[in-house]
Amino acid sequence: MSIFKIIGKWLVDTARVMRREFTVMIHDPGLMLFFVALPLMYPVVYTLIYNPELIRKVKVAVVDDSRTPESRELVQQATGAPSFALYGYATDLSEAREWWAEQKVYAILYIPRDYAKKINRMEQSHATLYADMSLLLRYRALMATMTALQLKQASEITLERVQAVGAESLGVSGLPVESSAHFAGDTSQGFASFIMPGIVILTLQQSLILGAGLLGATSRERRRKNNGHDPLEIQNVSPFATVWGKAWAYALFYIPASIYILHFVPWMFHLPHYGNPKFYLLYIFPMLLASGFMGQIFVILLKEREYVFPVIVFMSLLFLFLSGLTWPRFAMPAGWYVVGNLIPSTWGIEGFIRINSNAATIAQNSFQYCALWIQVGLYSILAALIYKRLKQLALRTGGARA
Amino acid sequence: MIGLKDSILRQLRRLCQQPVYIIMAVMVPLLCAWFFITLLGEGLPLRNPTAVVDYDHSKLSRQLTRNLDATELLDIQYKVEDYRQARDLMQKGDVFGYFIIPPNFEKDALAGNTPCVEYYSNMTYFVPGTLSFKGFKTISVTTAAGLVSAKLSYVGLTSNQISSLLQPVLIDIHPMGNPWTNYNYYLTPSFLFGLQQLLIMIMTAFSITVEIKHGTSIEWLKTAKGHIGVALIGKLLPQTVLYTLVTWAIQALMSQFSHFPMNGSLGWVLLAELLFVMASQSFAAFVACILPNPRLGMSVISLLGVLTFSFAGFSFPVEQMYGAIAIFSYIVPVRYMFLIYVNTALNGFDIYFVRYYFAALLIFLYLPWLAAWNLKRACLKPVYVP
Repeated sequence: MSIFKIIGKWLVDTARVMRREFTVMIHDPGLMLFFVALPLMYPVVYTLIYNPELIRKVKVAVVDDSRTPESRELVQQATGAPSFALYGYATDLSEAREWWAEQKVYAILYIPRDYAKKINRMEQSHATLYADMSLLLRYRALMATMTALQLKQASEITLERVQAVGAESLGVSGLPVESSAHFAGDTSQGFASFIMPGIVILTLQQSLILGAGLLGATSRERRRKNNGHDPLEIQNVSPFATVWGKAWAYALFYIPASIYILHFVPWMFHLPHYGNPKFYLLYIFPMLLASGFMGQIFVILLKEREYVFPVIVFMSLLFLFLSGLTWPRFAMPAGWYVVGNLIPSTWGIEGFIRINSNAATIAQNSFQYCALWIQVGLYSILAALIYKRLKQLALRTGGARA
Repeated sequence: MIGLKDSILRQLRRLCQQPVYIIMAVMVPLLCAWFFITLLGEGLPLRNPTAVVDYDHSKLSRQLTRNLDATELLDIQYKVEDYRQARDLMQKGDVFGYFIIPPNFEKDALAGNTPCVEYYSNMTYFVPGTLSFKGFKTISVTTAAGLVSAKLSYVGLTSNQISSLLQPVLIDIHPMGNPWTNYNYYLTPSFLFGLQQLLIMIMTAFSITVEIKHGTSIEWLKTAKGHIGVALIGKLLPQTVLYTLVTWAIQALMSQFSHFPMNGSLGWVLLAELLFVMASQSFAAFVACILPNPRLGMSVISLLGVLTFSFAGFSFPVEQMYGAIAIFSYIVPVRYMFLIYVNTALNGFDIYFVRYYFAALLIFLYLPWLAAWNLKRACLKPVYVP
């Protein structure tokens, strides 16, 4: 047979497997839950959870031992900030601590007795914020408020003092260098805007793996019942063509979901969305294929349909952390960094975030894009080997060990 | 009790015969604990990769660049000539932020024309974005302050006077219970509890509904002499022991081996963990009673279990969520476990202040008894719908 005939036969086989897989897919209500309901619903639910975006009005207790116009002004300015809400004045620190323990407040602002005295004596005056650390976002919001407050106080008081010591002649009127901060990608520093672009990619991958695993496990169940044969399978097709046909079926099925998730979800919820659709849709395709193969690889762990729940669901969390979204990859131990390289969503999330939120191109993410295609290649071979082995084992044992 | 011993023995046999139980109940949780503790082992990601664009090339701008590189938060990996190059590096993911020193920076700064330095942080990665911002901000302020204090010391002011001039009010921030702002201490326990809940709930529902799938539910009920309550206890109790021991082992990994803060009473935390395990089992048993179909029951549990990581308020506070969503945080056991843990282990509060959370965990234990009749009905006539 000529090389063209071999390739031609392989393509025809792949297409036949793909068509059959589509039929199997749409007749499985369990699969439709993973392939349709999950990608449709999850991004919306997740965004609704995080949609308030910013931390506002963290309740704070104030202990004012100074009780002067200066200390009241400090509290007033703090209350003006969006993230600070005055819960009440406590008589002393131990009362404030009790409020904290009862979770009425998440921080205590303590103004010592000599606060105003020091300001008027032109010394450095101190106040203290005790912050609850159970959640870093609250702490972060309060810290930003306090830093801004400190700078505001400085600009007001410094000018008076410079005049008082006669340093005006030196041209000192505050800091000689200004600075301006810009936040790229997530300009409002909102939480949904940060986490959603990553979560949606993970949703695509995980629902696809769950579905592919479910289909594979169901095929194993059929082999067990039918003496090692799967009656719904296309016969006389190479394992390689079989796994490719299935992966194509999943990836093509996921194109509408991908457009919805990558294009319409950010648009609906006003998440960062600066990328060129051409780039992120092209970029995500190898991730869909790689996920399809990964799901077929996991079939080796899935004896029964229901095994997908215990075996695969919890992995979402590990994959999320391996992707570097919460904890940057450069700070990971080398071992976990390498494991992260093996997961399609790691590259999918990295590339999509840069294209979508930082307006990067595919060319700027060519390394990640190639990594996804390498995964497609490697995982298709591994999936074919596993498929072949499971099939042979089932046939040899007459379905007993399918 | 009649049939209880036989039910327990039957479940113990099942636990040993099917490897999925030991793998999912013992190996996976311990592996995940090791994963989180080592992944976040650094505590705080230091030396964030960043770039500097120096348009000035003066002594002062080089000094500023050195200062940026010297702070532990930043690692100046690139010095580029043009902001476009820096933006390209950020879009490629090579840096998480860049710092721009304008032309004539030194001249303007010394002449009192207040030049403006600009910095960009990539907030699509929250942690390195925030930390690079913090590093940039600190260094630009201290560099500016250094310039003024040099001037002021010429006119004979003491360093105390200078700092009172530049920073008349200083607000010290004390992060209570975690002064290092160590991410491991705050992320790992909550996510591991969330993961434990997810695994316990799935395995509980699995162990119940698989009986119906395989048609063994009739024999299961027969072992318990027809009492669904006895059957449930016989099935869940051996697993309770297993899950509790594993949860305690994870606690030991955190607080004994990795020295996570334990400012409160370890004994109460361990008791809370026992109740948390039982509450998670009860929750899953309740769902399995209502939906005895394996796929439906486990779908609902997986859905809820995965969303728990978000609505339980491990990272985004519950009080900031929309009310209709925040309600969900109160229906999952891990929310109470999380509150008990942070308030005792981290904040060191007395057990009195978390009494309601203990009560809430206890309430979960009553759930399965409300719907057990439905499970009994399904067990007597097992129908498997794939």
